[in-house]
Amino acid sequence: MAKTNFWNGSARYLCDPELAQAFHMARTLGMPLLIEGEPGTGKTELPLQYAQDMKLDLHVYPVGSKSNVEQFVAKFDHVKYLRDSQIEVLNSQRTEKGLDSKLSTSGRSTEQLDDYIIMGSAAKAYASPHSVLLIDEIDKAPREFPNDLLYALSHRKFILPESGKVIEISEADMPAIVITSNREQELPTAFKGRCIYHYIQFPEPDVMSQIIHKHYPNSDDEIVKVAIDVFYHLRRLGLERAPSTRELLNWLKYVKTFSKKEALERIKNLAGIGALIKTQSDLEKVQRLLFDKSNDDYGRRSNAN
Amino acid sequence: MFPSLPSILRSYGVPADVRTLLLLRRAMDKGLVKTLGDIYLVLKSIVVKDASHRGPFTMAYYDYFLQIEIQTGETLDEAITRSITFQKWKEKLLQDHPERSDELSSLINQFLDEVHLTSYDIKQIVDGKEILEKDDPDQLDEGEGNADATRRSLDKAADYTGVDLEEILRRMERVRQQQSSRHSGGSHWLGTGGISPYGHSGAAKGGIRLGGSGGGKMARKVFDNPRYFPVDLDSKLKDDNIDAALASLKGVIEDSTEAKLDVDKTIKDGLKRGGLYLPEMKNIYTEKMQIILLIDNGGYSMDGHIGVVTELFKKMKTRFAHDLKVYYFHNTIYNVVYSDPRRSKPVTVKKLTDHDKNYKVFIIGDAAMAPYELNRNSINHWTLIKDKFRKIAWLNPDSEKYWTHTQTTAFLMQMFDMYPLSPKGIEQAVRNMNRKTNEMY
Repeated sequence: MAKTNFWNGSARYLCDPELAQAFHMARTLGMPLLIEGEPGTGKTELPLQYAQDMKLDLHVYPVGSKSNVEQFVAKFDHVKYLRDSQIEVLNSQRTEKGLDSKLSTSGRSTEQLDDYIIMGSAAKAYASPHSVLLIDEIDKAPREFPNDLLYALSHRKFILPESGKVIEISEADMPAIVITSNREQELPTAFKGRCIYHYIQFPEPDVMSQIIHKHYPNSDDEIVKVAIDVFYHLRRLGLERAPSTRELLNWLKYVKTFSKKEALERIKNLAGIGALIKTQSDLEKVQRLLFDKSNDDYGRRSNAN
Repeated sequence: MFPSLPSILRSYGVPADVRTLLLLRRAMDKGLVKTLGDIYLVLKSIVVKDASHRGPFTMAYYDYFLQIEIQTGETLDEAITRSITFQKWKEKLLQDHPERSDELSSLINQFLDEVHLTSYDIKQIVDGKEILEKDDPDQLDEGEGNADATRRSLDKAADYTGVDLEEILRRMERVRQQQSSRHSGGSHWLGTGGISPYGHSGAAKGGIRLGGSGGGKMARKVFDNPRYFPVDLDSKLKDDNIDAALASLKGVIEDSTEAKLDVDKTIKDGLKRGGLYLPEMKNIYTEKMQIILLIDNGGYSMDGHIGVVTELFKKMKTRFAHDLKVYYFHNTIYNVVYSDPRRSKPVTVKKLTDHDKNYKVFIIGDAAMAPYELNRNSINHWTLIKDKFRKIAWLNPDSEKYWTHTQTTAFLMQMFDMYPLSPKGIEQAVRNMNRKTNEMY
């Protein structure tokens, strides 16, 4: 069980009530929280903001196509071990020859196998009570990875094979584990079964405006309103890669550098649209739909069909 | 506790088993369940492992805990209005408050708000009382939804923190047992038995506004959002179930992992270690997907389907980037197929069959034509294709029930395995293709 007090966002992060409840539940039950949802809806932000707001240790494991459990938990540094054991031989030879200077192993001893263990983020998180462990984008991992994690996640215990060292944590000190996925591949059922699942719903316009105000507290209401309007029209065009919260925030950052009048003008002309639209074919589609027709009709017509 | 719950959930297509109950029990022990709304939240987190399960789960919940059955084509409001549970609740409400003359929809809202009242809401009421009363803009920082929606008021909101959990469970169990059968429409609302704010002896706090986004609003959102329901896997392939089809197509990828001695790395690392060579292994992960697609793009009967099919395989190509060859034909194949949709660049069947025999072949067409079109010559060419490639599936966009009525379709059906052009059909085709591979080796 991690820290179990209910947390529902901070001054900078708007946490959807349902997400906050799922997160609380996961911590109370000592289970990992698996978050899925469109890219750019703040999946990764949750543990980051939580750790920052609650001043807890944060351990991040970004998953990649080559991830394996050794990296995640701990691995044994064979090279260092070999070097140190050779140094021991060398040192004894030097003593025989009556040389005083010795080569150093920086305090490591080959008798102590624990000295050669490089702890991964999981081992670090399990070693410090009440920390936050983020396993980011687990869908990028090779297929076996989630299943390999199962043991670790359900037993609160890692055994390091080389040294036999056991890293264990009590239920009360469990880290809050958050796993994010973009659904690029389906996760194994057994894995999902061990997690609390939450699907982040794309925010509605009114919630979106609150999110924007959290990020840019001084932004002008009118600019935000017009930008949100344009943004949701773009999303409704049925683009290949619909713009998400992250893109909107980036776009606003750009627009904000101008005076209000100019900013509104720029929003209406979709200036800097590269921040929102990410593929060539989408860009062409937007150009075709929005600029061949009247300017104030952000795709409504095409949408009606 | 709730022994029949998993089977009800499963009957709605939501996976659940005895572990579900154990987890629910554990959540109760941890104090996560104090109201009926809490059960919804906790069960949702335990059971729903995919966004598309959320809708069916919500329906199962209404059925099991409230005896509200939502029939196909019925809205949530209609189902609630029809249910005995709601009628009892309304009776009770009007008894207690004879002056009330609300519209039906606002009554339903209140009903839903009460059903979904969670201890989180209650906590917010208790904790956030001051804030709410002052209408403080700080409320935004509470992470609440639309400010207007949060202002919807409840007459009473109960604080259950003092109520014994065992007692609540006992009552709920009793109510379930009293029901003779599921469909007789239980005469009890679990809520009135002790879990709702109404009729309960627990400390009711009067006149405090409800925090959170409001249960009614949440419930309606779930039912309005198609994302929360599974895609109809039996329906014809169209834009909105193309992703489901894609998922089933993924199965045609043959992948394998094997560990091999990594010679380069062994030497390199060995040199670094000053001549101590330790064998280094590497995992070799291979993916193979070779596909030939034969599309019948002649005749208006196929027009509607070509767009979707091309889109599907285009998506497949961009996502998995593999070997995909597309050819076109009109109604049936004689000696040539075409490499372009306008059918101007012919490729002989002989050349087509020069491809490796491990290519998987998908034929997409309605197989319906005038009997004379499927002549001896054509059949010979189909046979050539069939003999060459080991894995062939015919995907037919026409409804399955007409297949045997069309002479040519019936004939080609005997030659090739034919499947409907739906996500389910594609999944079946892929599964059978894979099975055949296994039998051969």
